[in-house]
Amino acid sequence: MIKLCPRSSMDSSSFRHKSRFSRRSALRGILGGSAITVGLPWLESIAPRGLKGQALSEARAQLSNSPKRFAMFFWGNGCQPDRWLPNGDGEAWMPSPLLEPLAHLRNEIAVISGMEVKVGNIEAHISGPAGFFTGKQAIVKGGGGWTFQGPTIDQQVAALIGGETLYRSLEVGAEPNMRGMSMNGPDSHNTPESDPIALYERLFGATFREPGEGMVDPKLALRQSALDAVMEDMHSLKSRLGNHDKARLDQHLTAVRDLELRLARLQETPILREACIKPERPSEVSLVEGRVQLEARAQVMADLSAIALACDLTRVLSFWYCDPLSNLLHPNTNSGHHQLTHDEPGDQPQVTEIIMSAQRSLAYFIERLRSIPEGEGTLLDQCALLATTDVSEGKTHQIDEYPILLAGQAGGALKMGHHYRSTTKENTSHLALSVVRALGIPASSYGEDEAFVESGLSAVEA
Amino acid sequence: MQFPSSTSYALNYLIVFSVVCSGCIEARRTTLEPMSELVSTEIDSGLNDLPSAPSVPPGSTALRRLTRTQYEQSLKSVFGETVVVPKVSEPDIPEAGLFSVGASSTSYSPRGIASLEEAAYAVAQQVVSTDELKSRAIPCDLETESTETRVSCINDIMALNGLRLWRRPLKEDELGRLVSLANQATEVLNDPWQGVSFGLAAMMQSPNFLYRLELAPSQVSADGERFDPYALATRLSFFLWNHSPDDELLEAADSGILDTQEGLKAQAERLMASPQFKFGLEQFFIEKLKLYELDTLRKDPLQFDHYSPELMREAREETLRLIDYYVLERDSDLRELMTSREHFLTPRLAALYGVPAPVQDGFRRVTLPEESPRLGLLSHASLLSINAHPAASSATLRGRFVRTVLLCQEIPPPPPGVDTAIPEASGNTRTLRDRVAEHLTNPSCAGCHKLLDPIGLALENYDAIGRWRERDNGALIDASGELDGVSYEDPQSLSQVVREHPEFTSCLVKSVAQYATGRLITDEEAPLLQDLNTRFERLEFRLKPLFLELVLSPLFYNAGAPK
Repeated sequence: MIKLCPRSSMDSSSFRHKSRFSRRSALRGILGGSAITVGLPWLESIAPRGLKGQALSEARAQLSNSPKRFAMFFWGNGCQPDRWLPNGDGEAWMPSPLLEPLAHLRNEIAVISGMEVKVGNIEAHISGPAGFFTGKQAIVKGGGGWTFQGPTIDQQVAALIGGETLYRSLEVGAEPNMRGMSMNGPDSHNTPESDPIALYERLFGATFREPGEGMVDPKLALRQSALDAVMEDMHSLKSRLGNHDKARLDQHLTAVRDLELRLARLQETPILREACIKPERPSEVSLVEGRVQLEARAQVMADLSAIALACDLTRVLSFWYCDPLSNLLHPNTNSGHHQLTHDEPGDQPQVTEIIMSAQRSLAYFIERLRSIPEGEGTLLDQCALLATTDVSEGKTHQIDEYPILLAGQAGGALKMGHHYRSTTKENTSHLALSVVRALGIPASSYGEDEAFVESGLSAVEA
Repeated sequence: MQFPSSTSYALNYLIVFSVVCSGCIEARRTTLEPMSELVSTEIDSGLNDLPSAPSVPPGSTALRRLTRTQYEQSLKSVFGETVVVPKVSEPDIPEAGLFSVGASSTSYSPRGIASLEEAAYAVAQQVVSTDELKSRAIPCDLETESTETRVSCINDIMALNGLRLWRRPLKEDELGRLVSLANQATEVLNDPWQGVSFGLAAMMQSPNFLYRLELAPSQVSADGERFDPYALATRLSFFLWNHSPDDELLEAADSGILDTQEGLKAQAERLMASPQFKFGLEQFFIEKLKLYELDTLRKDPLQFDHYSPELMREAREETLRLIDYYVLERDSDLRELMTSREHFLTPRLAALYGVPAPVQDGFRRVTLPEESPRLGLLSHASLLSINAHPAASSATLRGRFVRTVLLCQEIPPPPPGVDTAIPEASGNTRTLRDRVAEHLTNPSCAGCHKLLDPIGLALENYDAIGRWRERDNGALIDASGELDGVSYEDPQSLSQVVREHPEFTSCLVKSVAQYATGRLITDEEAPLLQDLNTRFERLEFRLKPLFLELVLSPLFYNAGAPK
């Protein structure tokens, strides 16, 4: 039941040009700005193209029936630490008011509190995710512009475990027209798909074939040839560029290679997993009283996301509930989200309600993953799901006391059902490194400068 | 940039090109709308007494990704207005407040690339299956019996459309790749039209279409060297039309006309006299004023009876129509925008503004009386809505808009760890001025909020969608204040103060320069901006002549080193 892409099937069309770009060079491009470091022998062992004999069978063996998946869940504008912090440490923890929506999943999740993002809080809402997700400070530009120095954790991981599937990674969003924070590197955004119908069409539309269904479209191979011509153009253009533009073109090239690989895979006989059942086409989620029904949208997106993971369309999925600085008008609130975090007086009950809606959506997503059987257990068991936000508290923009939640045990690599309280403001990079390693990636370090670490957070490791 | 201009291939291309020039292009020109209504005056600079621009090393130039609008408009300009271009999933990211500048940093993501592929085939399919589009894109008989003639036709099609899409003649190997792809697809699918569509789709996915490569012929131009003529043609066209050059401009590049200032000026004047200049002009303001935000901006319908998505769209157009009026129709002092009594209103906007509907449907220009509080851009529903929250006005957002967008001043971000909550309206703190008083007394807030809030408070008479109000929570609104040492009593006098602020016009010059060059202007280049400021003033702050002065400035025509 595994999907492999042996060299021979890639070159099935006799008329195709040989591309002069190797997958290795694409990988190097991705890893260039990565905050994690991985030994080269391991890299070679996972790269399926060009592998032969022993190396190939080892790679196959590594791709078990039940591969590990990485998922992220993010909501913008922070949390309320006082109402989020659980009572009690270790396995005896009691859910706090804000964690109440996750109480019934308490054995499936781990709560991590008290950690700090160690990059310096130079840009509100941006430095936190930059430091946590890339291990490096953000790049701040004039006029409120920002970008990251390197790929975010989902893309760092996708470069290493995303190569076997139709999509190296998927980014889905609940808030309309959102930007998300999944980055391939500086100025290269993976904008989430936040239209449920567009996401459905992309994953389960014309390209989705069940076994024995339909012929291979001869246009697929021609489209590959067209991309080969495009890549030749990129190659000759590159020689005329400065370093800044060369790096941009490398990002672009990686994206073209991604598409080319997908076109190749679409010509293979699809292997469907048992749990992969083509979903119904979702319907539009309408506004109510001029308010986006974010939770309802998130449910539709969570349904599609869980099936996408179950179908092994991707092994890396980031779920963006709402953007940093999102000023969306939520149901039962009288002001925009970001404005409320700053202007709502007192205990900010409306902000609480919005954070609760994010936690309910997270709980729903976890439930969906848990409801899909895989191997001896469930899809959730094979996931490492990391949930967090952009600032500890929207009102103050702080990035210590960072709220973090894990779900899924990554095939037994992560320990669930407990609350870990960091009393020394430990570096969030430790946790990030644990998650990366839990996915089977032998990373030796994460982050740079103040955020640099070489050890994981042993409390969450099984 | 090296083109085989003396090879036999180029001659071959020129023959194709001239055939097309006498046919399709003429045919297209006749379809253009008459322009007399919009363009009233000739550009006369008359600044010959001023010293020529100082010589400074130009900043480095990066590849410029086409923005989403440029992608769509370029395909329409290449293939025909009727072509339907699917939406591309690669959002524009502003930098220094402009997509145009952000486009020199951004790249393409996997999702964007997939959507570009889809769009390319959708467009190519239309081109080979619509008679109207075929007549422009296909200069020869593709359905001929003779294989040889067909192959040569495919070659001509690729050369012609390649020139238009890539905005320069194709090199031999580039053309060869496309022709062999088209031939291959023709064989596999047994249909030359399908073959051509694959060739066209590849061209549309090529970096040579998706980015603008702006280099000097020598490629190392640290001291400033004029752009390669095709790069200059492209720069000019995207600046003034926001899409690819037309055939005449490409011919001007080919003939060497653009290598002279006179030739460049003549082409710039031609482009500005064309009806398409409206779209280039509007795009600058759409980016500068962030009018695109109105496409997705939502307000609380429970609190604002007048709000609707249609109102937001009309508000966007109201602002653009006023700009068109002052720049294209009147060619007047651009500062008039700040204090205009002229307004372009629909019934919806008139209802919001509390004035009689001037027309049953659509827009009409009305002159509002002296006593009307509606004065200039700062009273537009567009800017007042963008710079407010979904359910409330915001002194901070509006103040920041005036400071950073209209005056190009920098405001540092808020410090971390400060409680930013403001009290609810109650008792004696009913207006926003009372409620934000905290920002202005707390020392960690006051540094910046003193720069922002007083300006925004002057606009408190406009609610979050721009409706006039005398009172907030029952208390009278005090809109008085001071901007950089000049005081004002109400929103109207604030508009006057901004209009006369020395940084208002220099900010505009800087933004136009950044927009046109797609990059930040370096410190070394400051004298060039200063030169343009002087010229702008001499030109009585008319924008069209400023655009021309910019085109004729080394900032525009001199290449920097590749970034």
